[in-house]
Amino acid sequence: MEFPVIFWGVFAWMISWGVVGSVVTRRVYLNKDLDTSNAGMVGSMLGASTGPVGLILLWIKTPPITSRMMLFPSLAAVGVFMVAFAIADPNNLCVVNGSFVASQISNGLIIGIIYGFMALGLTLIFSILGVVSFAHGEFYMIGGMITYFVTTVWFPGINPMIGIGIACIATFAIGATFERLFLTPMYSGKIGRPVEYGILITFGLAFTLQYFVQALVGANPVKAKRFFDFPRIRLPDAADPWLIKTSRGNLELFDTISISNPRFTAAIMCILVFIALMYFLRRTWTGKALRAVSQDREAAAIAGINPDRMNMLAFALGSMIAALAGAMLVQAFSWLPQVGAIPAMRSFVIVVLGGLGSIPGAFLGGVIVGLVEAAGTGCIPDAQQAASYIPAYGMFVLILTLLLRPTGLLGRRFSSATHGKF
Amino acid sequence: MLKKTHAPQMIGLVLVIFFALFPFVYSANDYPYIMHIFITGFFYAILASSWSMLAGYAGQFSFGHMGFMGIGAYTAALVSHYFYMSPVPTNFCTEFAIGDSYLIILNPIGVTSSTLAQDCLKQAMEVWNGSVEVTPIPVWLSITLGTLMGGIFGLLVGALVLPLRAAYLALFTLGFSEILRAVISAEIAITRGQAGIELRYMFEDGITLFGRRFEQTDKLPAYFVMFFLLLLCLGILALLARSKFGLFVRALREDQDAAAALGVNTTRYKVMVFVITSMMAAGAGAAMAHYVGIVSPNNIVILQMSLVVAMAVIGGVENFVAAAIGAILLEFMLEMLRSSFVIGPIEVDMTTWRLVVFGVLLMLTLRFSPKGLLMPIIEYFTRGHIAKETVAKRDEPKMGDASRTESSQ
Repeated sequence: MEFPVIFWGVFAWMISWGVVGSVVTRRVYLNKDLDTSNAGMVGSMLGASTGPVGLILLWIKTPPITSRMMLFPSLAAVGVFMVAFAIADPNNLCVVNGSFVASQISNGLIIGIIYGFMALGLTLIFSILGVVSFAHGEFYMIGGMITYFVTTVWFPGINPMIGIGIACIATFAIGATFERLFLTPMYSGKIGRPVEYGILITFGLAFTLQYFVQALVGANPVKAKRFFDFPRIRLPDAADPWLIKTSRGNLELFDTISISNPRFTAAIMCILVFIALMYFLRRTWTGKALRAVSQDREAAAIAGINPDRMNMLAFALGSMIAALAGAMLVQAFSWLPQVGAIPAMRSFVIVVLGGLGSIPGAFLGGVIVGLVEAAGTGCIPDAQQAASYIPAYGMFVLILTLLLRPTGLLGRRFSSATHGKF
Repeated sequence: MLKKTHAPQMIGLVLVIFFALFPFVYSANDYPYIMHIFITGFFYAILASSWSMLAGYAGQFSFGHMGFMGIGAYTAALVSHYFYMSPVPTNFCTEFAIGDSYLIILNPIGVTSSTLAQDCLKQAMEVWNGSVEVTPIPVWLSITLGTLMGGIFGLLVGALVLPLRAAYLALFTLGFSEILRAVISAEIAITRGQAGIELRYMFEDGITLFGRRFEQTDKLPAYFVMFFLLLLCLGILALLARSKFGLFVRALREDQDAAAALGVNTTRYKVMVFVITSMMAAGAGAAMAHYVGIVSPNNIVILQMSLVVAMAVIGGVENFVAAAIGAILLEFMLEMLRSSFVIGPIEVDMTTWRLVVFGVLLMLTLRFSPKGLLMPIIEYFTRGHIAKETVAKRDEPKMGDASRTESSQ
């Protein structure tokens, strides 16, 4: 049989049992008066991976749901999907070529770390202000634009770190100013629906910033040159460098995995900043105050923390993180005023997947989305079609997460920012 | 006796008469251009007013409205591009007998390039050598089908977003519209991807109205079609807003749980408001697609959505008439601001700056007059005489810097 028939057949089978599982399991658990919060998730994943067999067992026994019961069926469902793909299309690069798979996975990991870092800013803003900042992509774009102009146009030859620093300071200032001017009425209860107001006002900011930058710099793509060169390394020896081989712009591991310099440096820098940020959030007074406000606004205020001040800091810091991600990726991609839209969407996906407000969740979500996109781009036979679908992979993940487990992978059920709402 | 409270109705009537007479009175050189602006303005007015029903009345901040518009437009495009009626079977295409004639579904061979236009119908036409007349699907039917398809997708999305609120709903609908756009750009074999798909003009062969002949490119028939659609939508929305439906969806907006506890079937009304508003968006999209003659996935991008959101918010998101008038006015303003000018040595290219102005206007409106710019004027006339107590409590404290600092202390 040919590819589409097997593949779409298995796909339809999984989807239909997933839907049946999700709907019926919730009913069964409700009838037995058990906790239904994750029943839909378990039911759909078990249905997708094992079909009716597992589902009937589940409905008869109705065990209390643990996180393990969610993890293993989900992994099994992914496994079944991959096996179906491999059987359906045995000649695909993703199936036969191990080194292709390895390099796709490593690329997915590296880009996923950068995505996760950018989403970290969004999750910081959300956990403290309760606002999903729709201007996140525009801060990313501005960070890249400022870095490009400082390092390439205004002061060529300057240390790129200075350019990144200027971009960070500028976006921090924009974020803080915007928060003071436009977000303050949200906190005092003067606006009927603060969450909707936050969505609309950041949407307006995104619109304004994007066209403002376009009006200033025009719509031609720009690109910064590489910030750093790799040192020349040949390991284990120069004649046969099977372990590590570097050239100025490329790193090759085990003769198979090739990582380009800009992405590598960006990922390393993201990890470093992430560690610094974690130190800031866990060890300093201000960081602890930020986390306290994210857990309980009133209690933090009683303990002597000014929540309004923390709101400003969180928004500015979150925007700066997005700008930092942009500043580091401007050496990897060509840059346009519209470049922020896709990373912003990706950040939404990641924070929802990881759990809105959860910092480790943002990184985990970033890596998962990176891998999903790498798999989607590498495995679809028609390259042009695969490229057109790139924005959609993440969105599929988003929609699945919202339908099955709106709290996300590591989300807290109630953080002060969600106001108990989904 | 004319009262102050009648003023909005009077102004509304004057506006309707103005728009109805405008094409006959106005006769300057830029007539087609002005007409085009108004047609586009009506299109955005339908989108903005139906979005205000969804977001302002029912509180469902959906960012998928342009996606529904795209569903309507693409359904109309695919129907008018791939479906034909013929009295004789072609024997080349996939075809079904309906009564005496045959519904032909085109099976294009060289679709990816628009120049290579060889398909099964063309093959059949060569065989027939002009002896058979093939009729395309009429425009009104494809617009109706587009509207229905929008309703079907509205039902689906409305049912899926039932448990989601606020930010999650916004993200879900955004995801829906992005997936739609990706699918349309990727499935080149059917939709022609980024190149866009062409479709018949609204009046392909021209039309004769009251003894006057209008060619395919004349704006007047399309103007009245759009105007009629807008009035139809506003009429439906007015009926809904005044009925129990309007009361229930507003209860949904204020507190879903409280509304459910008081016996409002929240599931039904949430889905219904999605279906109705997405049908309006889809209908507008289908009509606009037939007017412009081409649709492309770029019509569904988020920036188009932000335009609709901005128009609705600046007009007044909690009143669909205000949103509609706001959309027409802003579309007009945006077009008028196109001309570039020179201050000293700097040449200001207004084509981009006007959108910056627009964004700033949106933010300032939200911040200082969250009900929009037109809504307070309407309220002044209709509610001015009512005692302050009856005005909803949340509108009461005016947001100003003085009162804000007071309460935060």
